[in-house]
Amino acid sequence: MSVAISIEDLTYTYRQSDRPALQNIQGQIEDGTFVVVMGHGGAGKSTLCCALNGLVPRFFRGEYQGRVVVQGQEVARHKVAEMSRIVGLVLQDFEAQLFSTNVELEMAFGPENHCLPRSEIGRRIQRYLAYVGLERLRQREPASLSGGQKQRLAIGSVLALEPKVMVMDEPTTDLDPRGREGVLAVADSLREEGRMLLIVDHEPETAAAADQVWLMRDGRVVAQGPPTEIILDLPLLESCGIKALPIAELFQAMIWPGRALTVDGAITLIQMHNLAQRRELNFNAAPSGGAKGPLVLEAEGLGYIYPQYHVEALRGIDLGIREGEFIAILGQNGSGKTTLAKHFNGLLKPTSGRVLVRGRPTTEYSHRELARLVGYVFQNPDHQIFARTVREEVGFGLAMQGENPKTVEKRVAEALEVVGLAGYELKVPFTLTKGERQRVAVASVLAVQPQVIILDEPTTGLDYRHQRNTMELLTRLNKQGHTIIIITHSMWVAAEYAERTVVLKDGRILADGPTRAVFADEARLAEASLRPPSLVKLSNWLGTQALTVERMVQELQA
Amino acid sequence: MNIFLYLDKGTWIHHLDPRTKMIGLMITFSVCLCFNHPLYIGAVSLGVIFIAISAKALLNFWRLRYLLTLLIVFSTLMWPFFAKGQTPLYAWGSFEVSQESLLYGIAMGLRLATFVAAGLIFLSTTKNEEITNGLIRMGLPYPVAFALSTALRLVPTFAGAGATIIQAQVSRGLDLESGSIFRRVGKFIPQAAPLFIYALRHTNLLAMALESKGFSPEAKRTLYYDPHMRSADYAVLALLLLVLTTLLYIRLGLHLGAVIPGRM
Repeated sequence: MSVAISIEDLTYTYRQSDRPALQNIQGQIEDGTFVVVMGHGGAGKSTLCCALNGLVPRFFRGEYQGRVVVQGQEVARHKVAEMSRIVGLVLQDFEAQLFSTNVELEMAFGPENHCLPRSEIGRRIQRYLAYVGLERLRQREPASLSGGQKQRLAIGSVLALEPKVMVMDEPTTDLDPRGREGVLAVADSLREEGRMLLIVDHEPETAAAADQVWLMRDGRVVAQGPPTEIILDLPLLESCGIKALPIAELFQAMIWPGRALTVDGAITLIQMHNLAQRRELNFNAAPSGGAKGPLVLEAEGLGYIYPQYHVEALRGIDLGIREGEFIAILGQNGSGKTTLAKHFNGLLKPTSGRVLVRGRPTTEYSHRELARLVGYVFQNPDHQIFARTVREEVGFGLAMQGENPKTVEKRVAEALEVVGLAGYELKVPFTLTKGERQRVAVASVLAVQPQVIILDEPTTGLDYRHQRNTMELLTRLNKQGHTIIIITHSMWVAAEYAERTVVLKDGRILADGPTRAVFADEARLAEASLRPPSLVKLSNWLGTQALTVERMVQELQA
Repeated sequence: MNIFLYLDKGTWIHHLDPRTKMIGLMITFSVCLCFNHPLYIGAVSLGVIFIAISAKALLNFWRLRYLLTLLIVFSTLMWPFFAKGQTPLYAWGSFEVSQESLLYGIAMGLRLATFVAAGLIFLSTTKNEEITNGLIRMGLPYPVAFALSTALRLVPTFAGAGATIIQAQVSRGLDLESGSIFRRVGKFIPQAAPLFIYALRHTNLLAMALESKGFSPEAKRTLYYDPHMRSADYAVLALLLLVLTTLLYIRLGLHLGAVIPGRM
């Protein structure tokens, strides 16, 4: 096999920065290899991707040392457009990559730039739309697609360039579990065709399917090797702030023999060595989390139709939420999760049925009154950050409520303390990292002290450490009495933190109950294109109550 | 949020070459300028409406119904102040409305509405990329045509982001429905600042994505939707030219179709 990528002592510093984004990177990747790059936020993963197709150093300014050679071409000596014939890059922000009026033309854009004949472009559109499962949406306008569909289109439009080397920067953030499997299937076919694929991803399950894993920390590659070597080295993963494979954690904690990377592998090992007894899963034994308070949110026969598209997003939702609950709303892209949540703080008004907050319909509240009771944290913190200082940003909601400056200052300080940003009052919010901006957004809702806090995808775009921090913060708030509702497609987040799970499908409630029970019904979840995390699958097979590694260890040792 | 006007219907007008549609639009504009008698212009408007029906573009007419109605009403009310005619209808002091000026006002309203309607048919049946292709084929340099169509393309994207931003601030208690004009201006900042940052970030990322997909403004590229002048295109253009010459002859040769002959 010939070498696809060779990186020779690459060091790169962005112009505005005093710290190198990449430091002495060395590496060689052969054709037909599937590489997964993992690392904490700010480790240099995206910069590494950009260095492979020439955006670094051609598009970004900075200090560049060393050499990157892709398919025999030295990257720094070529324009990005020239490199696009060899390297295809899918950027992390997929929304910004789509700009054609329909799906077909989006796919055609790259091949058009390469001056391919029209018949060949047609063939590629056909072929790669099938790869990403969008054949039926050829004429749709990209803006009208769901998040997951957009992400798949972004991938397809780069595949259509048929690059020898394919680079994807976090291509699965907005995909439901089925969509993630689809991307892995693409990886397999690329490998069969002898092309090289490099993916940046946080999920250990993706890494388990790779030929090679690179671990990055603070601009350096700290480990390179086959997945069995890297992702079973738990202390190493921990030091890089990466989520360990829960099954591997379980095996190490139980001191079980063998190396298990998948559920099937684990089951085989357990049966072979007779490591644990299967038991009957008994839901009554599940800890209910104590008695809950009075109903705070109610939906009665709630239906909603988006007026612009005449799309029926919600069809007869009946749901009651009590004070102090911790609820996860799950569902495929476009199943109505966000639409439902936006009814709880009155951003949307029901087309039919009604929504009650503390027994009073949302239509009878003003937005300001509702903002006091129900806080809503949007997915992207950049949609709300506007102020010159963190203090002003976090105090905005209180100022809108007409609180006096003294109270504002006190509550802002408290909120910042809770999210771990004490002392940030006078910083400029735009200059903070993504994780910090997210926490500023949470603090700005907390400062108003609403009883209910709704968060839309609170963990998307954060690295593992920040995901954990955010979820632990929410757990603390929940213990203090706040009702927490998260909309998420991260199955492990729902499994580990939510007490109750509501699954939506096509605007209806498909399942609603204690998280353990909902996650036990794998067939029902599959109906909504969801799949429990590998540890939960194993737990289902064993018949244990546990949804986390620690609990499972306790239960198995008991 | 959908402020995109293109309607994916696939009628015979959708299939015309974008150049035909652009030239056709110019001819239609000229046709509207031929007369200033409401009956004659009314006939032209009716023709345009028939074209709109066969292009299945009436949905957009419905969306813009207020604009179209306003144009006609305002024009009818305003023109009598400026155009003077011979047959007085009534007068208050020095101000008088003549029969001609009233008819002229109606005609001008219809003319403006027909302009807008013709433009609407064009945008309802022509994709952004087709407009770009048409402009390139008509000799516009590629970077200019591309900049134009990207600008058009970004409008709905930014409008969508703007809508999300407003929702985010309203859910933090921003009250957009009350307050004096000055207080309302103050409320503009929480909406404008995030949108501005979003636009900067978005355009930067778009530039990265375009280059990564091999786009360079000066280079030649294939056009997947290759516009072709077919016999239908020539027929449409010939017909429109015939209509224009006939109408010019009626106005200039036969001196018909004008309420106030001195004006256009």
